[in-house]
Amino acid sequence: MLTPLLVLCMSFSFAQEKRISGVVTDQTGLPLPGVAVIVEGTTTGTQTDFDGNYTLNARVGQILRYSYLGQKTVTRTVGTANTMNVQMEEDAQALQEVVVQGYRNSTKEKSSIASVTINADESIQNRPNASFVQTLSGQVAGLNITTSTGQPGAASNVNLRGVTSINGNTQPLYIIDGVPVDEDNFRSLNPQDIASVSVLKDAGATAIYGNRGANGVIVIKTRQGNFNQGLQINYTGIMSFSTLQDNDYNLMDSQEQLTLEKLRGAGRGNTLTDAEIAAAPTFDWADYFFDTGLTQNHTLTLQSGSERATQFTSLGYFDQEGILQDSGLKRFSIRNNTTGKSENEKFNYGTNITINYSTSNEPNNIGSGAINRNYILGAYQSVPYITADDYTNGADLLSPLLFSNTPLFLIDRLRTFTRKEEEVKIIGSFQAGYQITDNLSANVTMSADYQNEIETEAEGPTSFNALLFGGAENPTSGYQDQVTVRQFSYNQVTSLNYNNTWGKHTLDAGVYSEYFKAHLRTFGFRENGLDPKTFFPGDGAGFIPTFLDPATGAVLFVDEPFATIRNAGLFSVFSQADYDYDGRYGITGTIRRDASYRFAGSNRYANFYSVAARWNIDNESWMENSIFDVLKLRASYGTSGNQRISGNTYFSAPDLTRNFFATGSGYGNNNSIFLSQIANTTLRWETVTQGNVGIDFELFNNRLRGSVDGYIKETSDLFQSTPVSAINAVTQLDANTGTLTNTGVDLTLNYNILNGGDDGVNLVLNFVGNYNKQELGDLPSEDGELIGTGRNGGKLFEYFTVRYAGVNPANGNLLFLDADGNVTENPDADTDRVWLDKNIYPDFNGSFGFNLDYKGFFLQTQFNYTLGVDRFDNDLAGFQNPDNIGQFRSSRDLLRAWTPDNRITDIPAYDAFNRAAVGSTRFLRNADFLRLRFASIGYNFPSRFLDGTGLTRLRVFGNAENLFTITEWRGFDAEALSNTSRLYPTPKTLSVGFELGF
Amino acid sequence: MKNYRKIFYLFGLVTMLVACNDAIDIDQPGRLDADAAFESVADLQSGLFGVYANYDLSGEIAFSSIFTDELSIGFDNGGQGLADYGFVLNAGSVAPAVFWTGGYAAINSANRLIEAAESITPEAGEEAQYNDILGQSYFLRAWAHWFLMEYFTTDYADDNALGVIALDRVPSIDEQLLRNTNGEVYALILADLDRAESLISTDTSDPTFANRDAVTALRARIAAYRENYTLAATLSQQLLDKYGLANRAQYEAMFLDTDNTEVIFKLERTNNDPYDGQGATGSPAAGGWAGARFAFVDATLAGSPYFEMGRSLFNLYDPADIRYDVNVAPTSLIDPDYTTNNDPATDILVIQKYPGSEGQPLMNDLKVFRSSEMLLIRAEAYADAGSINGATNSAAALLKQLNDARFGTDTALPVFANQTEAFAAILDARRIELSFEGHRYKDLKRLGERANQGVLKDPIDCAFNGACSLPATDFRFTLPLPIVEFNANPGLREQQNPGY
Repeated sequence: MLTPLLVLCMSFSFAQEKRISGVVTDQTGLPLPGVAVIVEGTTTGTQTDFDGNYTLNARVGQILRYSYLGQKTVTRTVGTANTMNVQMEEDAQALQEVVVQGYRNSTKEKSSIASVTINADESIQNRPNASFVQTLSGQVAGLNITTSTGQPGAASNVNLRGVTSINGNTQPLYIIDGVPVDEDNFRSLNPQDIASVSVLKDAGATAIYGNRGANGVIVIKTRQGNFNQGLQINYTGIMSFSTLQDNDYNLMDSQEQLTLEKLRGAGRGNTLTDAEIAAAPTFDWADYFFDTGLTQNHTLTLQSGSERATQFTSLGYFDQEGILQDSGLKRFSIRNNTTGKSENEKFNYGTNITINYSTSNEPNNIGSGAINRNYILGAYQSVPYITADDYTNGADLLSPLLFSNTPLFLIDRLRTFTRKEEEVKIIGSFQAGYQITDNLSANVTMSADYQNEIETEAEGPTSFNALLFGGAENPTSGYQDQVTVRQFSYNQVTSLNYNNTWGKHTLDAGVYSEYFKAHLRTFGFRENGLDPKTFFPGDGAGFIPTFLDPATGAVLFVDEPFATIRNAGLFSVFSQADYDYDGRYGITGTIRRDASYRFAGSNRYANFYSVAARWNIDNESWMENSIFDVLKLRASYGTSGNQRISGNTYFSAPDLTRNFFATGSGYGNNNSIFLSQIANTTLRWETVTQGNVGIDFELFNNRLRGSVDGYIKETSDLFQSTPVSAINAVTQLDANTGTLTNTGVDLTLNYNILNGGDDGVNLVLNFVGNYNKQELGDLPSEDGELIGTGRNGGKLFEYFTVRYAGVNPANGNLLFLDADGNVTENPDADTDRVWLDKNIYPDFNGSFGFNLDYKGFFLQTQFNYTLGVDRFDNDLAGFQNPDNIGQFRSSRDLLRAWTPDNRITDIPAYDAFNRAAVGSTRFLRNADFLRLRFASIGYNFPSRFLDGTGLTRLRVFGNAENLFTITEWRGFDAEALSNTSRLYPTPKTLSVGFELGF
Repeated sequence: MKNYRKIFYLFGLVTMLVACNDAIDIDQPGRLDADAAFESVADLQSGLFGVYANYDLSGEIAFSSIFTDELSIGFDNGGQGLADYGFVLNAGSVAPAVFWTGGYAAINSANRLIEAAESITPEAGEEAQYNDILGQSYFLRAWAHWFLMEYFTTDYADDNALGVIALDRVPSIDEQLLRNTNGEVYALILADLDRAESLISTDTSDPTFANRDAVTALRARIAAYRENYTLAATLSQQLLDKYGLANRAQYEAMFLDTDNTEVIFKLERTNNDPYDGQGATGSPAAGGWAGARFAFVDATLAGSPYFEMGRSLFNLYDPADIRYDVNVAPTSLIDPDYTTNNDPATDILVIQKYPGSEGQPLMNDLKVFRSSEMLLIRAEAYADAGSINGATNSAAALLKQLNDARFGTDTALPVFANQTEAFAAILDARRIELSFEGHRYKDLKRLGERANQGVLKDPIDCAFNGACSLPATDFRFTLPLPIVEFNANPGLREQQNPGY
């Protein structure tokens, strides 16, 4: 038997054929499934499996070609080694190919779901934002990310395809390396560790997350080492400078302000002569309270791999000064990811652990009208004729107590108030899989998210605020709060997976169980009474014990301790099956049964399902010579849920199904028993039912790529406030009633205008867009209208108020429209309100930009746009309020106020009788904007320049965030998703950095 | 390799069998289920402290003083209370919403305690305490109904006019009840007061809890408002005889919470109780220290007064009157030529009625019934009966008696030309005596027409907004039913008070 074969071989060639195996990874080290490996000039070939492994027979000297859409094709000559690992490099002109599908991965071709994966190298790396979420803004169609505060590391508001809940959680579920994590807290995580971010959008993708998936799912993978890779060391250093964005309020200088005060007989201006007014200094309080914020960001990574193990280690240090005084974030982070496998490769495992420590200074009372607490109010509204030199100490400000001293109260607070959050955050996970037979594998993922936050807040005993509220009876006032919040969650997914290919059929199926448990422990105290001789924020040396003042009978310095315990849990079983026929047709079905601790007393179990199907039209034989390289039609339908129907945490509203009384301080400070909760016995989760139809396409040799998705997403059993008669001691109870429908279109387009290759100019244009329309239904009120929520058929949180109609030329009074549209000076605050068809959420939003590179030079831009946002400009209302004259700063707009000689104007007479009569649309403004959200310019030194330097990589770059904004909005930040005035605006940031590889 | 397999089977088993219930059957610690809330008389006593905690006068003090003519805008006003100060009142305003919801929250809590008490049998020796608790609960239920009537009925004296919803039980969530007639509401209130009188202990030494004298005082006030002056005369005389009037020192001490000579009933306010705080400034939502209705920090010039005393009220105070010392802070800047100087900065009248107690500035007990109010009710009864002049048994005699006590000297006996003058004098006396205690709005509503008076501010206090006067017949002396109630109970829209 052997001899003839051997002879046959020998007769053609003396070369020995051998078995070659290896792993193909992408440039971030993630295994690439589905890579075609072909022996050039033959028909011999194979594809890598899900873990990127391949095996084939080839002879020494033959050339292997590795090709994969979206990656540059790699060729290697077979040498003496039997293992050939290949790291592919991304082809910047093409889309990513690995598609994360929740609990498993797929290739783009075989994916039936609506999802977008962003490669971190392209657009997350090296951005100066403390939280990567802020960086994602504008990058994914349908993902609307707004950051309403410039506080470093603060949480952003993230809505995928519109808002799906009124009272409950509206943020997507975040999964980092298999760990579901707290979505409001990313400040402690180093964005530089991220390898990719996948956004799962339709029901086909999210149903498998059951009652956690209603708002979409964001799956984050961190970097990994590669098998058989030498040690590779990388350092990135970035330095950034942040400054306040501009405003257009046209604020008065001291001369104008004082003259106006004199005219109005109010404030300091009323007491000064014209000469004194002319001599008054103009002090820039915005410049005092806001400052250029300096950020430094250092990341050192080490990655390596042996035959059976890989490791990735990263050390990060990040120090960001907020532009607002006394705000900032410092972070130290360490991450270690390892993977390994057994000799027969049947067992594999991975661990990811990251330990982070951050400390952040976060002033509170931002947005409030507290003139002695909100620094932003001081920056914007302080009168310019008071200067920082006027400040002496807190005691001197007590008398006379003048509102116009606002900036001095706040200077005092800057010097005597501390608010600091220290946080330890540890996220760890362990995954393991065992191949029981060729087709059957068992897998487990165990993961934990731990955070311990210690907040220290202290108002010093010599501060103005302490003296003000302590008074003469209580001279050593002041307080110190120390609060510890510990949160631990554990998640475990256990699964059995089957996959098989026969003929043209491929089946991939799994059954899973998931267990989730979370624990919250908080405790803390407020110490009242601090001795200024020994007080130091955070230390207890200055604490004064409680005592009874014999003179007044007062009990002074009563301390307030508190503690909370909450537990939460979920348990689910689910199953998913994916079938493919010939790479042309595919269908995926998911079913999940979920139990939540929250509904234990009413509807404990919920079922969710989805079906998704695809047709790869380009793989049909009749498409052979079409202009389409890729043309895929997708459709999905299914449900997912939201069990966090009230409040934002896993622990809020834990047992609404029961009637409760509580004990606590009652009349005369006697311990008392009182009603604390009225039961809702029909409580259930909110269900989101979503249908999605999409097309993925690539044309003209992949130069034009894109996808378009249409969706209808209906939330039913909306948990919302339902009015009840006041005879029940409350006027509203939350109940599952009503619907909210989001209908929209997502569009992503990329076009390679210029394809110059390595030595030429490459230019890619990008466009991302989403149109979303909201519609409320079945609202719980007689007439289908709920003030504050909206009306049936209308937008969520649609504004309902009296229409402002300008200034009456006859007398300078404000004019309004009554409900019937007639002009009136005396509108009825109740019955003349109308629905305005406007709200704070955008109709259109997204981004466009381009990526340009030429021989190592690169330039990248991203313009974000938002259309259809209307906000109340309450800052403007303050600057135009004549009643503030003498106390606060005014806009020059007021100089146009109505007088008998200036009758045609947009500013009412100072004394218009109805200037504070009703809330109206007077300050409702369009907040649409176009913003250069991000621009980056840099140079990658070609490797030939690095020969002999010991470096393998050198890259220098400069970045800009929020460089300019085109908008009608007059305030400091058009982006904020809020109608609150005096907010901390997001900054404009310029950065420079470099990256070294060894 | 076998070991790996075992590990997986183990994980699978553990997850499926053990994990499930521990994740989804969770009792949060510290929860008190309704059926375990009240199990003994001691629990009922704790419940009573919870019911009392719903009763507060700070909202009335804020609303009545801002809306009528007791205040002017202070130099440290940052926009507080401008709508109420300009007589802007509609179904969306704060006062109707918080008074309506606050009143029914109080009724609901009293009804819950009364129902809980039904299922508890007191042990031997506890009967008296049990009865006292129940009696106070009935009093509190009656008082909350009366509070709602004070603001939402159009005419106190007409039993056929629309009153409020009378409720003697814990309602279910979906109930939509309409207004009862005044007669029906009065019947419930008076029946509750009868029950209260029979159950409450005879000890009347502690004015911080509802005692039998408080029951009598409430009956007297109701009778006067209903213009049932025969009854009002009997009841008020009874209390006036028992309590008498405070002397000047006692009067001053009363507002420092250190003397109770003429206090029949007051709500205690103390350190760390639910009202120990600033509350909502410039708003009838209030809910904090009484004095924080006028100033942010304390009752002095340096205490950031955002409201000052109205000039028209100040002009009624005689510096020789102890009430001048009580109500006007010594740090005030008083400009005798304010009308010509026309400069608010030279004339700052700081309100001192609530200077603070127990070391806490601005925090004082809230006086509900004082014997001077009883005297003035008695005077009203004389005036109504036509006994306006004379050294004894007349309205004039009683007003002199009050002035004698407050001035500490023998004052002149007033003489009235007619009944209108007598009522005007009584209304002025109430304005002086009961200022900043939440009475002025209701007094104008019921007595303004008979006294030919309305809201009248000094021109300097209303120059900026033109809201200087409001006749007592204006529809705004009855509050509108609030929008917040219509949302749940649309049938009530048909029963909205006139003018809104």
